[in-house]
Amino acid sequence: MKGFLENTWKHRAHVILALPVFLVLFFIMYVPMTGLILAFKDFDVTKGIYGSPFCGLENFKFLIASKSTFINITKNTIFYYILFTALGTFLNVTLAIAIDQCIFKKMTKVMQTLMIIPVFISYAAVQFIVYAFISKDTGLINNALGTNTSFYMNPALWPAILTITKIWKDTGYGSVLYMSVLAGIDTELYEAAEIDGANRWKKIWHITLPSLIPMITVMLLLSVGNVMRSDTGLFYQVTRDSGVLYSTTQVIDSYVLHAIFKNSNFGFTAATSFFQSIVGLLLMLFANWMVKKIEPENALF
Amino acid sequence: MSRKNKPQVGKNADLAASKTEKKTAGQFILFACLFIFTVFCFAPVLLVFISAFTDEIYITQHGFSFFPEKWSMAGMNAVLRYGKQLFTSYAVTIFVTVAGTLLGLLIMSMYAYAMSRKEFKLAKFLAIFLLIPMLFNGGQLSGYIVFTSMYKLKDSLLLLILPLCVSTMNVIILRTYIVNSIPSELMEAAKIDGAGEYRTFFQITLPLLKPSLAAVGFMMATAYWNDWQNALLYIDTNSKKPLQLLLVNIQKSIQFLLNNNNVPASARAAMGGAIPQNSATMATVIVVIGPIMVAYPFFQKYFIKGLTVGSVKG
Repeated sequence: MKGFLENTWKHRAHVILALPVFLVLFFIMYVPMTGLILAFKDFDVTKGIYGSPFCGLENFKFLIASKSTFINITKNTIFYYILFTALGTFLNVTLAIAIDQCIFKKMTKVMQTLMIIPVFISYAAVQFIVYAFISKDTGLINNALGTNTSFYMNPALWPAILTITKIWKDTGYGSVLYMSVLAGIDTELYEAAEIDGANRWKKIWHITLPSLIPMITVMLLLSVGNVMRSDTGLFYQVTRDSGVLYSTTQVIDSYVLHAIFKNSNFGFTAATSFFQSIVGLLLMLFANWMVKKIEPENALF
Repeated sequence: MSRKNKPQVGKNADLAASKTEKKTAGQFILFACLFIFTVFCFAPVLLVFISAFTDEIYITQHGFSFFPEKWSMAGMNAVLRYGKQLFTSYAVTIFVTVAGTLLGLLIMSMYAYAMSRKEFKLAKFLAIFLLIPMLFNGGQLSGYIVFTSMYKLKDSLLLLILPLCVSTMNVIILRTYIVNSIPSELMEAAKIDGAGEYRTFFQITLPLLKPSLAAVGFMMATAYWNDWQNALLYIDTNSKKPLQLLLVNIQKSIQFLLNNNNVPASARAAMGGAIPQNSATMATVIVVIGPIMVAYPFFQKYFIKGLTVGSVKG
């Protein structure tokens, strides 16, 4: 202990260098963690977080009372997580391999640049682009098909709309990571395979894909920790937070955001947030444990 | 030695060979698929630009179109000429983006440097302290209550800057770069020559960190530029509203822009008294996303490199 203190004093310059981030993390990330006790409190704005009286599990009764909302937002959160992760990984990998295999390198580079652009457009702006396609009277889709569908009134259509939007926004960017792995494959492997008479498909199947597997595994496992979190903008902005669509579009994060603005249903929201954070923590620990077993060098800790 | 150089040569030779590879039918099909996907990605962006310059009446009658028959500058004019708020918002967004990115880069590299020192025993604690927020966080609701009712920071630009300032992932990227790409001999040599800790960091480490700073910096700047959520939660005053908030409240914003006293009656009459709602919205979108579109090609190589570095934990 004494040695430790001496070492710290000796390197006090390091302590000072680390201090600003320490403070930012402390006030921005750590203090709000204590706010989770609100799930067990009857919050009173005038008394603040710590002064409000405890109410035991009262708030969780709201959870059970509004069971259908709770189940709906949890179900949607998990459903979209699985859909986006499965489809996203598949498309990212496919695109990375396609770009890697294409021999028109210069053109491909330009195309790749264009494909990445959507990731830089905020969802606040994306909602207008989506609107231009699906609005009832002026939308491109209704005009092209000669239909008169009210997309914003029809919840059944939204899983598809959100999925397409997500693919449009993230695939180009998502493939970059896998491309960097592909760039690192030893070309001698391909040459050797060619001498052995392997065709293009065989090379992809036996060399390219296996070399991507570690990265795919790690990315999938790490994403498990984020099952309870969603791309809030997609669900809040693109749907215009429209109540008609909640049954298929509301996720935990967009529910909480909505509740903060409407100042409604406080106990329920606090209980839901608590649930979200705890499940998130457990999943994170699980994900890291799995990564450690499979690819120890990629584990978070 | 020749053995060591071989992969390098082999790689170059292979690159040359791939250029002369046969242009088979399969290659053209692959190219066509990629081209279609590019169109899928880029066409919606193009539509924004076209719609912003489409005549408003044309949009209401025929809908949005890639090939409108009637063009007009009314939307863009409405946004640019009368939008005093737009310029205020531009200033806010630029200030938050620049201040936040610079501050974040500076303090995160300081932390990454301290964390990377082997002789520093507290480094382990720093690493754990950094990691915990990635595993566990209080969520939006407690964040909102802590920031507004405990810190009383509602309507403060600090809440646009600080929450996005430090991210665990970015610190890890910087630390990885310091450990893997900056020889520690350099820093030791500086110390032997009598440079203090601060001087070693600011004059040796920080300048060598540039490629990684560019990558992280671009990602941070994009996050700041695109942040609508914190603005929506915390900012009320018009003079502090960033660009994204204008987009979020666009219906109100455009009315606000146009019904504002800034608009002379004659100009309002010239627009036929009507607000070019659709085209003005798209014009606003262009104004908001424009700067990133322009900056991105210049940063593309850094940012691809940064992603790659981040994926390999040292």
